Amino acid sequence: MTECEKGEIITVLSVKAGIKAKKRLANLGIVPGVKILKKKSAPLKGPLEIIVKGSSLVIGRGLSAKIMVRCQGQCNL
Amino acid sequence: MKYQRRTSSHLPNKGKEKDKHKDSINIALAGNPNVGKSVIFNQLTGLSQTIGNWPGKTVEKMEGKLDFLGYHFNIVDLPGIYSLSTFTLEEIVSREFIVSEEVDLIINVIDATNLERNLFFTFQLLELNVPMILAMNQMDILHKRNIDLDFKKLEKIFKLPVLPVVAVHGLGVHQLLEKAIEICHPHLNYENSEFEIPDLSAILSFGKEVEIKIKDLIKSISVDRKSVVNSHYPPRFLAIKLLEDDEEINKIFENHESTSDIIQLADSFRKELEEIHGEDISTVISSEIYNNINKIVEQVLIIQSEKQTKKITLADKLDHLTTHSIWGYVILILVILGIYIFTFSIGDFLGGLFDEGYGIWSENIYSLYGENLLGVKILWDGGVGGLIGAVGGVLVYVIPFFLIIEILQDSGYLPRAAFLMDRVMHTVGIHGKSIIPMILGFGCNVPACAGCRIMETEREKKISIVLTSLIPCAAAMTVVMGLVGRYLGLSWVLFLFIINFSVILIVGRILNKTMPGTCTELIMEMHEYRMPNYNVILKQTWLRSKEFVFKALPIIIILGITLEILLIFNALEPVNLILSPISVIWLGLPTAVGIFLIYGILRKELTLVLLALFAENMGLTLVELLTPIQMITFSLVTMLYIPCFATIIIIAKQTNWKYALQISFLEISLALIIGGIVNWGFILFMNL
Repeated sequence: MTECEKGEIITVLSVKAGIKAKKRLANLGIVPGVKILKKKSAPLKGPLEIIVKGSSLVIGRGLSAKIMVRCQGQCNL
Repeated sequence: MKYQRRTSSHLPNKGKEKDKHKDSINIALAGNPNVGKSVIFNQLTGLSQTIGNWPGKTVEKMEGKLDFLGYHFNIVDLPGIYSLSTFTLEEIVSREFIVSEEVDLIINVIDATNLERNLFFTFQLLELNVPMILAMNQMDILHKRNIDLDFKKLEKIFKLPVLPVVAVHGLGVHQLLEKAIEICHPHLNYENSEFEIPDLSAILSFGKEVEIKIKDLIKSISVDRKSVVNSHYPPRFLAIKLLEDDEEINKIFENHESTSDIIQLADSFRKELEEIHGEDISTVISSEIYNNINKIVEQVLIIQSEKQTKKITLADKLDHLTTHSIWGYVILILVILGIYIFTFSIGDFLGGLFDEGYGIWSENIYSLYGENLLGVKILWDGGVGGLIGAVGGVLVYVIPFFLIIEILQDSGYLPRAAFLMDRVMHTVGIHGKSIIPMILGFGCNVPACAGCRIMETEREKKISIVLTSLIPCAAAMTVVMGLVGRYLGLSWVLFLFIINFSVILIVGRILNKTMPGTCTELIMEMHEYRMPNYNVILKQTWLRSKEFVFKALPIIIILGITLEILLIFNALEPVNLILSPISVIWLGLPTAVGIFLIYGILRKELTLVLLALFAENMGLTLVELLTPIQMITFSLVTMLYIPCFATIIIIAKQTNWKYALQISFLEISLALIIGGIVNWGFILFMNL
């Protein structure tokens, strides 16, 4: 997810993280198939702010990189 | 799927030790963080609130009472959480409490502007089979966006009362209580009137393949349950949690031989389901829940105007500014300075008034009884003096401090700070949220270390506490500014800060490498900026101050009296002699100073206060008493060594005494080592 453009609506494909992180994200609505909007990323390669299920979530950069998404029809890794 | 019926014999009258009142109702407020639960709680319970701890845990318990329409309500404000799994103590504590005998009714506070995510938690609560009311809060904001909710439909779908609320204006809050009375004490017309928990399988069901497994697990549980499993949780909840491999639930079944095979059963079911879906079980379940929620939300949201107004609001502009690559950090520094200035200006002013008053009274007392009478010394100087010192020297700073922190918290600024600082915090092994207690640490370490409870794991909490206690609090700053700042200039103050922060960085990195476990990633909800609600802020400030007064102040006063007594009997002289190898030779300070550093354990600014008094007694000014090197060393040691006693106690409460003592020992060592190095470094440098 770190490689997508700001302001794009992207679809989550999978979350390649540990079980706990996955579950926490799932509780907040980040599951395969859900559409999220990447709002901005923090300076200094910091966390990402995304909009999911209508509200703003901040996710650390390391974890964001593990969220696999599809932007505009391209697959990202 | 038959839900367990709750008969009226299970309702209020359960013989709680606290309330033998027949007409008492016990309510739990549950919901996501930042939905307005506290606002509602404040409205209902006002000044009767108490903050305690859940027994045996380091989680805060907020309780309050209310008498309304002839009924006595006991209300517990549960921590804001997103689910009922076992990530955090808050979740465990909440779910255990809800199914315990002590809760008659849950009021699920939902942020109507954030329906989907909030309903996820609602679904979790529904599985606990406890009577519930849904309170849709922030309806005013929803209406501003030209959206409305179909309450009739919501009630039809959930088969539970759904009420609109605008908590900040107090609207709809009493209706919640009226509804609670209706549910818990139904009209006596009906002989066997009971609150029947509705059959919600229509919305709560998962896909067929999952439901089959759940049914099988329920069968196994129900068979063995009565004899062995002593749990308040409904069978379906247990089944789902077993499938999800929930630690705490597993423990219930692991303990007995006859039930441990249920765990194996759950394991095999889980593997099957994960193969079918190609995803881990939590993702499967969460996806299904969100699917169900989606269908509901489509039916109940009423969008009233076709126009999608894409106005950029003030909140948006502020958000952009405070997270900007440059301005964001500038603002952060300004905010921290602002906290200092606000706290100090009010504190100094009020503290001065107290000092004057005390001075005048002291003169009166001395002229009546004489200064040297033992009783006068212990009771007046020690006792009342300690009290005035605690109020005029500490409380007048702490209260404005709490006030401005509450404003920052309520307006929504603090997550932005975490957003900006996450990257930096990672270098010391914790994530961005830890900046929040550290910001607090600039004012006072006591609430700052208490604030470390927002960290999700023990590891991070512990690292956070150490680093937070190393932040120079306002008291330490008084010493630095009053000594180095005043006589040596601001550049030396900067020098001290650089050393202090380097220490924090280095300690953080070492802890990060040596403490087991890895750094958790930041996952945080960031809500829109909003105008702080002055009711909430005042009440929270009052509560926090009350907590401080009852917990920290007595310690300060008692220690003050003790030290005064020791001073009277000259018990402290020998201490000076014992300390002199360290204080005089290593640190290069005058002999008498050793004692002042010990007083500093009580309150850090005392080191300077006593130093000044000492100088006055000798007829010297501070400049004459201490050389510049000594001033620097003295200030540095004050900044770094042991956290003040009140802080130590808070740390012990948050973790345990062993850790608190370890931290104290660590910081004393650090202060002494670095102080000595600085001292000798300068001496060598001067002699080159």
